[in-house]
Amino acid sequence: MSAVWRASRGAVKRRRLQTIVIGLVVMCSTTAILCALGVLDAASAPFDKAYSQQRGAHVVATFDTTKTSDQQLALTALRPGVHAAAGPFDEAVLTFSKDFLGSPPGALTVVGRSAPSGPVDDLTLQVGRWATAPGEVVLDKTCGQAAHCPLGSTLQADGAPPLKVVGLATSVSRSADAWVAPEQMAALHPTSAQMLYRFTDSATDAQLRTSLDQATAGLPPGALKASQSYLTLKQAFSALADSYLPFMTLFGILSLLVSVLIVGNVVSGAVVSGYRHIGVLKAVGFTPNQVVAVYLAMVSVPAIAGSALGTLLGSALAQPMLGIVFHGVETGGATPAISPWLPVVSLAGMPLIVALAALIPALRAHRLPAARAITAGSAPRAGRGLRVQRWLGATRLPRSISLGLAQPFARPARALMTAAAIVLGVATVTLTTGLSSTMVAYADAGPGTPQIDIQTGSAAAGQTLPKLSDAQDEAMLHSLPGVRQFAANASLVVHIVGYTQPTTAFFFRGDPPAASYQIVKGHWLDGPGQAVVGPMFLNQHGLAVGDRITLELNGHSADMTIVGQTVDGDARGLNASWPTLADLAPDRRASAYTLQLAPGTDTREVLNAIRAADPGLYAASASPPVGPTVAVVSFSSAFTVLLTIVAALGVFNTVLLNTRERRRDLGMLKAIGMTPRQVTAMTVTSVTALGLVSGLVGIPVGILAHRMIVDHVGVVEFTESMKDVWHPPQLAALALSGAAIAVLGALIPARSAARLTSAAVLHNE
Amino acid sequence: MTTDEGSPPRVVVRLNGVRKEYGGDARALDGVSLEIRAGEAVAVMGPSGCGKSTLLNMVAGLDRPTSGTIEVRDQDLGKLNETGLALYRRHHIGMIFQFFNLIDDLSALDNVVLAAQLTGSSAKQARRRALELLDELGIADRKNMYPAALSGGERQRVAVARALMNRPALLLADEPTGALDSRSGEQVMDLLIDLNQIGQTLLIVTHDPHLATRCASRLIEFADGRIARESSLERTA
Repeated sequence: MSAVWRASRGAVKRRRLQTIVIGLVVMCSTTAILCALGVLDAASAPFDKAYSQQRGAHVVATFDTTKTSDQQLALTALRPGVHAAAGPFDEAVLTFSKDFLGSPPGALTVVGRSAPSGPVDDLTLQVGRWATAPGEVVLDKTCGQAAHCPLGSTLQADGAPPLKVVGLATSVSRSADAWVAPEQMAALHPTSAQMLYRFTDSATDAQLRTSLDQATAGLPPGALKASQSYLTLKQAFSALADSYLPFMTLFGILSLLVSVLIVGNVVSGAVVSGYRHIGVLKAVGFTPNQVVAVYLAMVSVPAIAGSALGTLLGSALAQPMLGIVFHGVETGGATPAISPWLPVVSLAGMPLIVALAALIPALRAHRLPAARAITAGSAPRAGRGLRVQRWLGATRLPRSISLGLAQPFARPARALMTAAAIVLGVATVTLTTGLSSTMVAYADAGPGTPQIDIQTGSAAAGQTLPKLSDAQDEAMLHSLPGVRQFAANASLVVHIVGYTQPTTAFFFRGDPPAASYQIVKGHWLDGPGQAVVGPMFLNQHGLAVGDRITLELNGHSADMTIVGQTVDGDARGLNASWPTLADLAPDRRASAYTLQLAPGTDTREVLNAIRAADPGLYAASASPPVGPTVAVVSFSSAFTVLLTIVAALGVFNTVLLNTRERRRDLGMLKAIGMTPRQVTAMTVTSVTALGLVSGLVGIPVGILAHRMIVDHVGVVEFTESMKDVWHPPQLAALALSGAAIAVLGALIPARSAARLTSAAVLHNE
Repeated sequence: MTTDEGSPPRVVVRLNGVRKEYGGDARALDGVSLEIRAGEAVAVMGPSGCGKSTLLNMVAGLDRPTSGTIEVRDQDLGKLNETGLALYRRHHIGMIFQFFNLIDDLSALDNVVLAAQLTGSSAKQARRRALELLDELGIADRKNMYPAALSGGERQRVAVARALMNRPALLLADEPTGALDSRSGEQVMDLLIDLNQIGQTLLIVTHDPHLATRCASRLIEFADGRIARESSLERTA
């Protein structure tokens, strides 16, 4: 065994507590960093990852079969710039005049494919099997309520044979709503053919257009009916994930900063406190390089162990965290998971950070003459912050307190690094508190009275149809005791002129619904031809409040003006006034009702009354929306706990080092009559003041970070009242959080300082 | 000396059968009994590891005996908890050490004032007393210097001033000249003699026979944790 290794092993064994602290800090930091990087990485490209895994089509092209043949289309796959292609597949649009798959009347695009796999658009069969014979259909799981459609149920389109659902699949390219065997297509009267392309150059819209032009260059004019770029899909797919990016990035950066600061502080402190040991090593003949090697090896042992444990813990925590964050984000069949390179990076990177943090003080030790190093800690050293110490000594404060307050000035660099870690810890706590308050305000927005949501029964879902007419149901609901407000709505899948993606329109009548309490801009619907939408709808359609749109359905059209923007809302959904429904679907009745009850009303009694009056109405007490709130609060709380632990460990280490360095002083103070309680008070005070000051600095940092995040969430545009969450009692509590972190970290070493045996310390010195 | 006229000086320290064992068979003190009267200057000598520093720590309340009793001014130290011991040291004991144990971040004056501040004395009073002591010890002009800028002798004088700050009943000195050159050592010895002459009770632990014979009126020789010999001394000039 080499002398270096023997000395390092001895140092690790002798400094068990320090070794454990380094190991714990590295473990918590690695966990935090791995979770942060994992979420950042997954959020940065969930769509690209899913698309690459399933060989998604860069362009889904629809051709007019009356103008081109299958042979001509097959030849397009061989054109320059085409990397891979699938098709041609026959394509038909089935229309439904009644509810289907739990959705309102509308259309379904069906494609004939013999197998789910292929060189492009590799479908993921989620449930059941592929359609191999006429009369069978596989539904896209994300289409309408298909996910809840039992296998074996029948799909009946207008003028088409019945189709039995035999499977559910997902297509990351969104190439169709349903698939049947090619032999089935003839009976569905296809009018188009579908080609799926992957191009060599596909980064931009321009490249895709050029590639598609090249591929279809030899076809008759007008053969290409429509094309769907994956970039449009990408925007829609990634919108929700992207909306989490601002605070994921911020938490990731905070984690990295706190971790690097604490690791640097802990490790450099370990080396600085070992100067005397360094002197002894040099005195017995270790070369300066061997001394550096001893110290790097000494900190590397707990660093490697800590990063290995942290990687395991981080990998275990990151997966459920990704599940929460990406809940509701459409990623096709792909599951967001941490990339394999991340554990490798954290396993190698954290020990490297530790080694770098140790290297700087170790190099100082390298240059330190043995005689000076060996006297470190016993010979008097020139004091620092002397003026402050003198001033504090002259104040009326108890001496134990003034001595404690002066300690940070004796080690300014260490105090600053500790303070920086507490600042970031407090900023994180402030940010989380603000985000939670904003999200709770967002979830609570509404009339604040008990609410009942009612759905009308649907034949497709096997439910009882309403017994009463729409008007009779409205009258019945109005007459129920305790009903304060009533709103009704009907939904239709429509097309907006100029946009290819279908949109679900909700037509409202009656009192303003809960959504009306979440208006950020403009106003709620108060007349015909009006629409209110969410921020994502506006972003993805390039629209603004005041713009006009035209809705189309089965040859009917309606012009509308966007008069308001809600806090949130579906990118493919809009709210419209009831009279517009008459222009598009005159016979439609309300498919849902919402009742606001007077406070104190027995909700159960109202529910029973509704069921008794019309068994075709399915009523339930409304539960508040929790999705994004849960994601944000869970994610930020997890990081706050981790960062608070890391910051407290940093304080623990600082106090431990200070206590070790001041053992002689502590022994002397006890010898001249300082009580254990006074020693504890002095030690805790030494970081509590630092914690309080750091708390005062951390709060504005946290408030600023909160503002940056809530202003850039994208998927939600919060009202000012939701953003204005800071109140004096809350701020006062937050100001104490820095002190709380400091006390939490200082208490154990402070108590150990109080128990220090002065006899041994003073005699040994 | 604080004695009543005609009666022998009162007993300040009384040890009765004090034993101290450190794990296993290591016995630092083995049934030590002794008395120290007010105004005495007692030197304890013996080879390294004989238990003399342990004795000093026991009397200072920095360590507790395994068995036996220690009474200082009729107070049984065994009955005091840690806080009680701290208060006992604060009010009754002054200690000086071989390596001075001054706080590097405090000036000479602040180091001395510190002891009084712990008792709750007013800053003004404490400062006045500290300045008097520094003046008496001949280092008043060094009051604003920090330990790193003082010589060994000066540092030990500051330590002595700090030890005397609360007018202790007993001054304990652990190798007070051990880290000093001979000239500084002599100065410290003179100081101890002067203190004893004005009635300060001293218990000095030392390896140095010259220190013992110059400063002490009684010599206790230790060997293997026991008192091997006790003798009265005539102070040498």
